[in-house]
Amino acid sequence: MVGSSKGLLFRYIIAFALLSVMVFPYLYMVLNSFAAWDQVDKSIIPSSFSFRSYEWLFTGGEGGTSRPWIRSFFNSVIVSSASTALMMVSGAMVAFALAKMKFKGRAFINNAVLFQMFFPAIILLIPTFLIVQNVGMYDSYLAMILPKALSLWAVFMYTNFFRAIPDTFIESARLDGANNFQILLKIVLPMSKSITTVIFLFLFMERWTELLWDMIVVRSDHMLTLNVLLSQMFGPYGGYPGPLYAASVILTVPIIILFLCFAKQFKEGMQFTLK
Amino acid sequence: MMKKRFNGTGWLFASPYLFYGIIFFIIPLIWSFYLALTDWNLIAPVYEFIAFDNFIEAVQNPGVQAAFFVTFKFMAAFVPMVIVSSLVVALVVHGLPRFKGLFLIGFFLPYLASGVVSSLIVKGLLSYNSSINVVLRDSFGLDIDWLNSPLSALLVVAAIIAWKFTGYYALILTAGFEGINKEIYEAAAIDGVTASQRFFKITLPLLYPALFTTLILSIGVSFGIFTEVYQLTGGGPNYATNTWQMEIFNQAFTNLNAGYASAVAIIASVVTFVAILMIRKILEVWGKRNGWV
Repeated sequence: MVGSSKGLLFRYIIAFALLSVMVFPYLYMVLNSFAAWDQVDKSIIPSSFSFRSYEWLFTGGEGGTSRPWIRSFFNSVIVSSASTALMMVSGAMVAFALAKMKFKGRAFINNAVLFQMFFPAIILLIPTFLIVQNVGMYDSYLAMILPKALSLWAVFMYTNFFRAIPDTFIESARLDGANNFQILLKIVLPMSKSITTVIFLFLFMERWTELLWDMIVVRSDHMLTLNVLLSQMFGPYGGYPGPLYAASVILTVPIIILFLCFAKQFKEGMQFTLK
Repeated sequence: MMKKRFNGTGWLFASPYLFYGIIFFIIPLIWSFYLALTDWNLIAPVYEFIAFDNFIEAVQNPGVQAAFFVTFKFMAAFVPMVIVSSLVVALVVHGLPRFKGLFLIGFFLPYLASGVVSSLIVKGLLSYNSSINVVLRDSFGLDIDWLNSPLSALLVVAAIIAWKFTGYYALILTAGFEGINKEIYEAAAIDGVTASQRFFKITLPLLYPALFTTLILSIGVSFGIFTEVYQLTGGGPNYATNTWQMEIFNQAFTNLNAGYASAVAIIASVVTFVAILMIRKILEVWGKRNGWV
């Protein structure tokens, strides 16, 4: 398959052509976020640039009709971080029990996790909303965090990975007097860095870009996540396409930065998940 | 042999799932069946049991019927789109010695970005005065109202989601390519096999396990479309893009018909479950018949 250097050059040309098609809309987004307002959505490359769109976001728009853009960014950070952290901790704990501990009921829990994972989740949407409402969590951070405090996918991925770790490591640590928490923290998790990176990135990304749930459990403007606020910008702010692109950039950049920071471990971890 | 005293610790470690499973799975599951038998409207303190009236009403409702068919129409557009595009990307990019990191982040970008953002950009690109539409109008005489005609709206949504998943599936297929033994190609080259024979008779069958994974994943995706549709069409025009999630969201949180929407959600879940099971079975049988599995 490798072929001549000519063939390789040809493949590079096609690869970069494909890459430009995939990435083009995001370049368009960035360019338009810096475009002068009369230039937005008019041409592929705007003819004049300004920071007006970003200024508009940070100062709250015309006439002080401020939409809490900065606040919504921090709402997103709080909700995504807390939720992802809980999903990582609960995922590792449950997976450790399923992969490396022997107890009555383990097979049952394992099957329950798999069953729930392949169960169409849409059926749970309305009653879960009602639970949140009934315990008085509606319109709070907890409403966005607790129902997303455990990821079945994370449990599944960690369980598969932990199973591949030889029991001898765990047995010898146990003989040295380590308890299960210590074994998980000091032995198993340090051996699982690459898979932890993959799970973290996927969970954080998914949480950061969640729309449906965050939209239905929150009402107040100051509680909205950036993704929801951006989505709602469509109606009343349809006339401000510039800020819309600027907000899109602000929503996209943190994920890209995270991804770039962990790119190396991510690549290693993906090798395992794709096997 | 591990000793019996680890029993309690096992349950302790598994306890996050136990709490979660009871509070966010078992209770909502039972509650949804209960709700589906009532006419509750999410606000009123009183409601009545109406047995299976919600289900009878739902199957006659144009929105629900649309959701049923839209899912399969969407699948017919989205699955071939995403399989072909990810196959092309994987074929071209796999094994390229340089720029690996750039390709990874570049092709993964649509998957990382919010569906809201991708939809907004596409809406901008397809707006009446955008350069794409100006060129189409002035040079080709084509005046396409992308999101307001049923077929193009469905195709636009399918294309956005295919765009989103291409990089991810290409990664799965790349791993499949790399698992193929290179000696098979060398042996084939000696036997004078043509390029198209090589692709269809060797690469594709050997790639089938990876292809099967992407097929199943993409079919699963087809049943859970919400963000892009909510953002771009709201399910319209005239229910042409009305997915199950859209229908349930509208009934439960716009029209506040909690009981009725629960019945719709139950129907959606059953349809999803049965359809995915059947499609999976067909793919397995088909793969076996061709000797690919």
